[in-house]
Amino acid sequence: MIKEATISAIPTSADGLSRVDGRAKVTGSARYSAEYKLDGMTYAVLVGSTITKGSIASIDTKAAEKAPGVLAVVTYLNAPKVPGYQVAKNPAKPEAKSGPLKVFYDDKIMLNNHPVAMVIADTFERAQYGASLVKATYNKEAHDTKPPKDLSKGTEPWGGKEFSRGTKDAWQNAPIKLEQEYTIPNEFHNPMELHAIIAKWDSDDKLTVWDKTQGVKATRGDIAKVFKLKEEDVQVNSQFVGGAFGSALQVWPHEVAAIIGAKVVKRPVKLVLSRPDMFNSVGYRPYTWQKIGIGATADGKLVGITHEAAGQTSSYEDFAEGPINTSKGLYACPNVTTHYKIVSLDVGTPTWMRGPGEATGAFALESALDELSYKLKVDPIELRMINYAKTDPDNGKPYSSKYLDEAYEMGAKQIGWKDRKVEPAQTMQNGWLVGYGMGGGMFGAYRDKATVKAVMAADGILTLQTAVSDIGPGTGTAMTLIAAERMGISPDKIKFEMGESSLPDAPMQGGSATTATVGGAVYDACTDLKQKFQKLMGNGGADKLDYAKILKDHNLPSLDVTVQSSLGADGQKYSMQSWSVHFTKVLVHPTTGVVKIDKVVCVADSGTIVSPKTARSQIVGGAIGGIGMALMEEGVIDHRYGRYVNNNFADYHVPVNADIPQIEALFVNKPDLQINKMGAKGMGEIALIGMAAAVANAVYNATGKRVRDLPITADKLI
Amino acid sequence: MENEKICPGTLQDPDLQDPSRRNFLKQSSLLTAVALTPVTALKAADEHIDEKIAGALEKMPLKMEVNGKAYKLSVEPRSTLLDILREQLDLTGTKKGCDHGQCGACTVHVDGTRVNSCLTLGIMANGKKVTTIEGLAKGDELHPMQEAFLKHDGFQCGYCTPGQIMSAVACIKEGHANSEGQIREYMSGNICRCGAYPNIVNAILEVKNGGLSV
Amino acid sequence: MKQFTYVKPATQALALTAIGKPGTKIIAGGTNLVDLMKKGVTEPDRLVDINSLPLKEISTTKGGLHIGALALNSVVSENASVIKLQPLLSMALKAGASPQLRNMATVGGNMMQRTRCVYFYDTAMPCNKRAPGTGCGAMEGYNRMHAIFGVSDKCIAVHPSDMCVALAALDATVIVTGKKGIRRIPFTQFHRLPGDTPELDNRLAAGEMILSVEIPDNNFAKNSYYLKVRDRQSYAFALVSVAAALDIQNGVIKRARLAMGGVAHKPWRLLDAEKALIGKPATEDSFKTAALIAMQGAKGHEYNAFKLKLAPATIVEALKHASGLV
Repeated sequence: MIKEATISAIPTSADGLSRVDGRAKVTGSARYSAEYKLDGMTYAVLVGSTITKGSIASIDTKAAEKAPGVLAVVTYLNAPKVPGYQVAKNPAKPEAKSGPLKVFYDDKIMLNNHPVAMVIADTFERAQYGASLVKATYNKEAHDTKPPKDLSKGTEPWGGKEFSRGTKDAWQNAPIKLEQEYTIPNEFHNPMELHAIIAKWDSDDKLTVWDKTQGVKATRGDIAKVFKLKEEDVQVNSQFVGGAFGSALQVWPHEVAAIIGAKVVKRPVKLVLSRPDMFNSVGYRPYTWQKIGIGATADGKLVGITHEAAGQTSSYEDFAEGPINTSKGLYACPNVTTHYKIVSLDVGTPTWMRGPGEATGAFALESALDELSYKLKVDPIELRMINYAKTDPDNGKPYSSKYLDEAYEMGAKQIGWKDRKVEPAQTMQNGWLVGYGMGGGMFGAYRDKATVKAVMAADGILTLQTAVSDIGPGTGTAMTLIAAERMGISPDKIKFEMGESSLPDAPMQGGSATTATVGGAVYDACTDLKQKFQKLMGNGGADKLDYAKILKDHNLPSLDVTVQSSLGADGQKYSMQSWSVHFTKVLVHPTTGVVKIDKVVCVADSGTIVSPKTARSQIVGGAIGGIGMALMEEGVIDHRYGRYVNNNFADYHVPVNADIPQIEALFVNKPDLQINKMGAKGMGEIALIGMAAAVANAVYNATGKRVRDLPITADKLI
Repeated sequence: MENEKICPGTLQDPDLQDPSRRNFLKQSSLLTAVALTPVTALKAADEHIDEKIAGALEKMPLKMEVNGKAYKLSVEPRSTLLDILREQLDLTGTKKGCDHGQCGACTVHVDGTRVNSCLTLGIMANGKKVTTIEGLAKGDELHPMQEAFLKHDGFQCGYCTPGQIMSAVACIKEGHANSEGQIREYMSGNICRCGAYPNIVNAILEVKNGGLSV
Repeated sequence: MKQFTYVKPATQALALTAIGKPGTKIIAGGTNLVDLMKKGVTEPDRLVDINSLPLKEISTTKGGLHIGALALNSVVSENASVIKLQPLLSMALKAGASPQLRNMATVGGNMMQRTRCVYFYDTAMPCNKRAPGTGCGAMEGYNRMHAIFGVSDKCIAVHPSDMCVALAALDATVIVTGKKGIRRIPFTQFHRLPGDTPELDNRLAAGEMILSVEIPDNNFAKNSYYLKVRDRQSYAFALVSVAAALDIQNGVIKRARLAMGGVAHKPWRLLDAEKALIGKPATEDSFKTAALIAMQGAKGHEYNAFKLKLAPATIVEALKHASGLV
């Protein structure tokens, strides 16, 4: 559909249009939230509690207040009241949980490193030193940070209630069956950019923030609510976002703190979280325990899947996600039972992290399916094809599009699946065990509502405006390509403006919905704008238009349209999903247990590929996130103290360049015309979902050792 | 405690042999006077009468060249090169990703070699030449490595990118870009969370194989 | 970070005067010290920058290789004489940190770097090394990265250096100077076990500074290998590392040197295992026997017990590489 999208069977990193904002990024001129220079700037540093639960007994801020350059020390004792925090209590109906952490609200300590003070100074160094001088004492209470090991504790969130399709626990009666438990540890988004905000009160009731957020409109709404301001009096700017992966989907306490601080010192306040702070201030993928029972007939037809999951959440706020979703819908299985609980602990609230719960669930399900394939002596791909769902098993709806079978085939061919030995631990290569594995996943292909303003100016430059954020996937580039195709103009004649809350409405960048949603609106806006020009011409026939000339001929400075666009009513008839499958070849050292990823092939069925270069990068990046999840990522709490002990980049390992081979990202690239006119579905989540299982399954194939507790570190293989 | 802050090194300190210290005291007779009468200064600071006196006493002169431009600054010895670049010189291309030498986002060249600016005290760059991402292009003409990163999409969010590019240029200059494996190893001091590693390797290979001057 | 005064003495004599005062720290590359100062783990009143001193030289003298304390890790690792005469040292250096950090870190600073124990780094946690008498957080806590040899009831931390493991294996000597003049300290005695005073990492006395390190000539260049096992392929501290150097003649081991990193409060030299190798054929069986001997006295704790298996495996693997079996 889109000319630039003509991509080769095996895309290379040089294919396709380079990023429209790339020049700003490679020259260092792209400014992220903390990088705006304002007159009178001040710097805030948070002081966190050293206990996990209890209350503040005393807090001594005198030394900090006296330190050179310190302008204010804010604590719950002196913080100005945040109007949105003052909720009228209904003693007749006490809330089970108090909701998002209220910063400097009272003396309560709800988690370790709970912000107890904020030091504001004229330089960062002075604020940081001032923060080290604040001394608090506490009334300590017993805490619990130990995560669940079964379903015995916890509550059922929405969607968590025990559910059965067909017969409950039918897997138990299958001729070939297994039941296993899986855990994933707390994992952290750790975008490279530290979460940061600059807050500036323009007047008593007008606020501007430069904030790291995945949604400027949503952040504006939340801030307006908390500070009881009119939405139009809050301006949120987020021009460049240095990664987020879910961590900037909501307003966190540090953002409120900076806004409070700016009120106190009556100057702009810059607050940049430290890397350690990022481990309990901006969410994480929660530890989740899972148990899967799965059974099949001797010829591989699934009889039943039972999937139980228990994840952790905070004591003050529920967080639930979809670890069990994949088991309901990935395979044509007549009997599915699911049960999901969340367990409240004295920790920070988790949040969606790339792939979210579906990635957690897919690790367990796709590991179980692999294990089942060995029991059945059926090839893992064949097992998936035997149970291929042609309609959504969960609701019976037809799929808007599904080419997962083609994806299996493409990936198997590319990785050299035929070289895989069926028996584990059979192949050596230069003294290393060789294994192949695969794992896949699905994620809802969503399309939300977005508004785009398209303006064609007399100089022939098309400006597109919408309040979306780009956390890295290349939204501006994809939108430019869609508009270029619709308008019949070169991408360099297009300006895409975003990241400011004053622009027309767009949703958060999350849930893999941006290209489908905003792209759909760009498509519609450009279609309407072009029609407006065609009407002006009177004939309506010409396809290739010289917009600048038409404007000049009609003596017009510009023409514009503002179009709101969303999924049509017909969309409800379909089950809309994006699909992926990942293949890996791993090398495992037989005596030291070191795992090296030797080869990776990922195939995405995500509809039309709008922007080949950035799409490929997104798949590659998701795969690398999945490799981190599989091999090294694990947040560790010392439960005696309730405190993270590896909250930094030296001790919480994410992949480095040396861990990663060339990764081949392939696309089925067939349009899904039910979701939008470009035929594009999302791919941010599916890039990661299933990857950890692909690695774990390859490790099993290499060693005969099945690791069900992530990450797969050397110690688990020796 | 306060005393230590206001009277950093007294005049009989043997370390005043050090030229930078002498300059520091020469630059302002006011400061010398205050240093000789610590009690006055202590009182001043205590009462927040003159924050500037206490502040200036903690500062030292720093001369360095950044991207070909000479700077004369007055910095606290504890200020890192990274914070000086970002907060004082508004050169925000150099990024803070961890502030502890664990991610490489702050990579700059000091006298031609790549270092972590977050662990470099600014004062220790005195008399040195610093190159940041802002100093790589020649006017509108991008450095070949910047071009290659664009072409091969060696980034997504762009936050680690300046550090990656500074490291990539050094990687070739050092002679550590002779194979994919060597590039991976010698680019491992720069974390990219978006996962652009293979593209970064491709970009470096392109520049290296193209034989372009870095 | 606490404010401090900064001086940069021009001569060694001035430097020695400057470092003699309490509350003073020497700064060279700063990669570890600045990190620790940012965390508030160490709060010096004064930094003495010794980078003006002429201690960068790498030279070959009769009988050995002489490396100045201020020689950069990257420079040493790429130095032609080092690669030719002491490749083990080059390999170990390249296995450490990142290219950027190696461009800053000095040989002397590498020796002086402090443990990476997470309890040591977090001032809210107990740690006898950072704050004597507060207890050891890691002993009953998260001790995955911690010691299996030479642990005292006060401390289970490990020394994090790779370079030092090679220098311990190579029988290097540390040359230090102070008010009382120059001292030579055998490398294996430079770092110490925690005992009752884990706050002391090494035997450098107050007011002393490192001048250089000397490595005596040997016949190990052909059969040396540094193997580091870690949680990712690069830019991570060792779970276990092994420096192996062999002098093999006609398939028989004439001399052997072995040291381990990531297992003790100091680079852990394996003298008994070395002895067991001498006179033996350079085969996997000989290596396995030596590895078993090497592990005598090792003790695992809750999270690091895997090292009891990983360490001997790594020894065998390093020896296989060193001897050319791999």
